[in-house]
Amino acid sequence: MPKRDAARPDADAGLAGFGRYAGPATLILSSLADGPKHGYALTKDVEEFAGVRLAPGTLYEALARLESQGMIEALEAEDRRRPYRLTAAGATALHAHLDAQRRATETGLRRLKANWGTV
Amino acid sequence: MRTPQERAARLLRWYPEAWRNRYGDEFAEFLIADIEERPQSAERALDVARAGLLARLAVAGLAEPHVAWQPDPSRRVQVSLGTLCGALTACLALATAMWSQLAIAWEWTPPGFAAPPTMRATVVMSAAVLAFLVLVVLAVAPVGYAIVRNCHVRMLGPLLVLAAAVGLLAFGGHHFLYQWPGSGGHGEGGTLVPVIPAGMQAFAWSLTYWFSVHWFWLTTGCGGWEIAWIVASPLALVAATAAAATLVRRADLPPWLLAYETRLAAVACAVMGVFLGGCGYWVYVGRPPGLAHAGQIDVAAATLLALALAAAYQAQRTALHGLHLVHS
Repeated sequence: MPKRDAARPDADAGLAGFGRYAGPATLILSSLADGPKHGYALTKDVEEFAGVRLAPGTLYEALARLESQGMIEALEAEDRRRPYRLTAAGATALHAHLDAQRRATETGLRRLKANWGTV
Repeated sequence: MRTPQERAARLLRWYPEAWRNRYGDEFAEFLIADIEERPQSAERALDVARAGLLARLAVAGLAEPHVAWQPDPSRRVQVSLGTLCGALTACLALATAMWSQLAIAWEWTPPGFAAPPTMRATVVMSAAVLAFLVLVVLAVAPVGYAIVRNCHVRMLGPLLVLAAAVGLLAFGGHHFLYQWPGSGGHGEGGTLVPVIPAGMQAFAWSLTYWFSVHWFWLTTGCGGWEIAWIVASPLALVAATAAAATLVRRADLPPWLLAYETRLAAVACAVMGVFLGGCGYWVYVGRPPGLAHAGQIDVAAATLLALALAAAYQAQRTALHGLHLVHS
């Protein structure tokens, strides 16, 4: 993990403190896990893999929070479009968050199958 | 029909300058692409307006102390403390205005005639005002000392405005003090005056002449000087508050003082909450006719007081959050 990320106490807190921005933050980090992207490319990618369109204001609120907590970093702007890149701290936080979500999903599916016979 | 560039520029205006300096270009590009893809979208307009207003609240020190486009955490704490200073001064002005009215009614209510709920509310409000004034002294003294010790050129302007406004308020407050309608009353005031001297009650009333004028005008009329004071005193109060808030934002305050002021502000918010509780109780039970009855103006003032207190509480929370960032 880079030293810059280790110096940020919030970077270890994962996405727990994001409140209502946790959803957009997860989608953004998942998108950036595939490589750096600028704002518009990010929304198109999220729309494609999650079926959710992030509104402009919400997207940039989440980007600002992620950047301030060292989970993403801004790269040099290209034609007034600035790409963002996932950091090591962001990758760790995303991994932990998705792991917890997977456990909850697997538990839910297992109980549904056992008691309702679905899935 | 406006071009996507023009529409993006208009949407960008919702955001404060500091935010636009950091994200303006890339956000405009993003909006242009979004507008070209979806020319009409109420959801986009509402979302941008909401996020822009939240960013403006952050600039005012009322939210989001940790986002990347804001200055360093210490400065952000000072911005929140500046806003806190303004909001609590507004609370104090409204509280003093309402309390001084009630004190006059108290002076003229014959012993034994005051309704018990009104008496209880008056005691609670008086105690809260006194406690708040003590907190003001505890808050202003160390900040004033720090400002005097580390005064620099950028602070001279607000210092001069503050001195002029406070001077005007002190002079005018003293000048009109002798018109205090509480003079001559020998009612329940006998129980209030030993705690809060009549001179202090009169000065509080005189400073908030703009509030009592709605009924004082009807009973005695107003001359030219009174009208000048009614106009000048609230303006001086606003100028003093703005200058004090600016000084707090620009001063070089050490971290321990920021922590001290933030924690003192929490106590001040609680004390003002007690005042608001007493005031709300009085407004609720004080509707029947009588000297201490609450009117529409008291309902309006109590509502404004609640709003100012909510802003102060939010600024205090933001400052506290910023302090945690400074220490971490």
